[in-house]
Amino acid sequence: MSAFFAWLESTGVAVTVRDSLMLTAALSAVHIVGFTLTTGGALVANLNLLGVLFRGRPATEVTRPATRGILLGLTISALTGVLLFGPRATVASANWIFQLKMALLATAVAFHLTIHQRVARTEAAAGARRATGAVGLLLWLGLALAGCAFILLE
Amino acid sequence: MLEWLEATSVGLMIRESAYGFQGTVAVHLMAITLSVGTLVWFDLRLLGVSMTGYQASMMYRRLMPWMFTGFALMFISGVMLFIAYATAAYDNVYFRIKIAAMLLAAANAFLYHRLTERRIADWDASPRPPGGARAAGLVSICVWVVVIVAGRLMSYTMF
Repeated sequence: MSAFFAWLESTGVAVTVRDSLMLTAALSAVHIVGFTLTTGGALVANLNLLGVLFRGRPATEVTRPATRGILLGLTISALTGVLLFGPRATVASANWIFQLKMALLATAVAFHLTIHQRVARTEAAAGARRATGAVGLLLWLGLALAGCAFILLE
Repeated sequence: MLEWLEATSVGLMIRESAYGFQGTVAVHLMAITLSVGTLVWFDLRLLGVSMTGYQASMMYRRLMPWMFTGFALMFISGVMLFIAYATAAYDNVYFRIKIAAMLLAAANAFLYHRLTERRIADWDASPRPPGGARAAGLVSICVWVVVIVAGRLMSYTMF
């Protein structure tokens, strides 16, 4: 794995990003635009399941557009994230906050695309909806906080 | 004036305490999600791109408390960060772009509420709102993207 990260750091793209502070800054800025779209969509979808936003309407009406927003935001953040990761692959991958961020990302996305979707689609009982919304909210906010911690504490 | 701000206890606390700066920036970033991350759904409704089955007025009413909580947190944390680094921020070109973009966002919201929203009864349920409403939604999204991008660029160019 460490050989792979070393190779990643030596690629032309990674060297180009590392050598340009303004390119790094621009990638980071676009990364945060994706973050806003993703976390905003996740807020809307999970607050709806919790019963505090757009209540009284079918959950799919909210979940479907919100999921599109989440996926668009994730695409933007993943593309820029990979480019930001490249030049710092070895250091970042060894950073526990980064590892936590990636674990939360994978869990939040998997939870949203499976359990959240099913609960929204089947109009499950109120308790199950609220529990799903609460877990989803914790996962996405945890991811957002881990993202903040990674850029601020490294 | 800028130096006086930096010398206040708020400025000192943010600069000197162990995690004062990081904590304030984290609140500032999380507040973006709450404000712009929810506002964008109203903008998309104005554009007729998303949530078209909902009345625009209903979207606004339901999202407003989240948006304004987020804006309040973002404003307070933003002012605290400015106080701590007033001189460097004031001289920073991206800070000026950010302030200009926020003034545009305010003007856009003012014009929307003053002009376009007055006839909302005519298009509230329409999946494709009139040009003025769509323009307001598009301008809002563009201007807030500029605010976010300029804000992030500040942290790379100020210190």
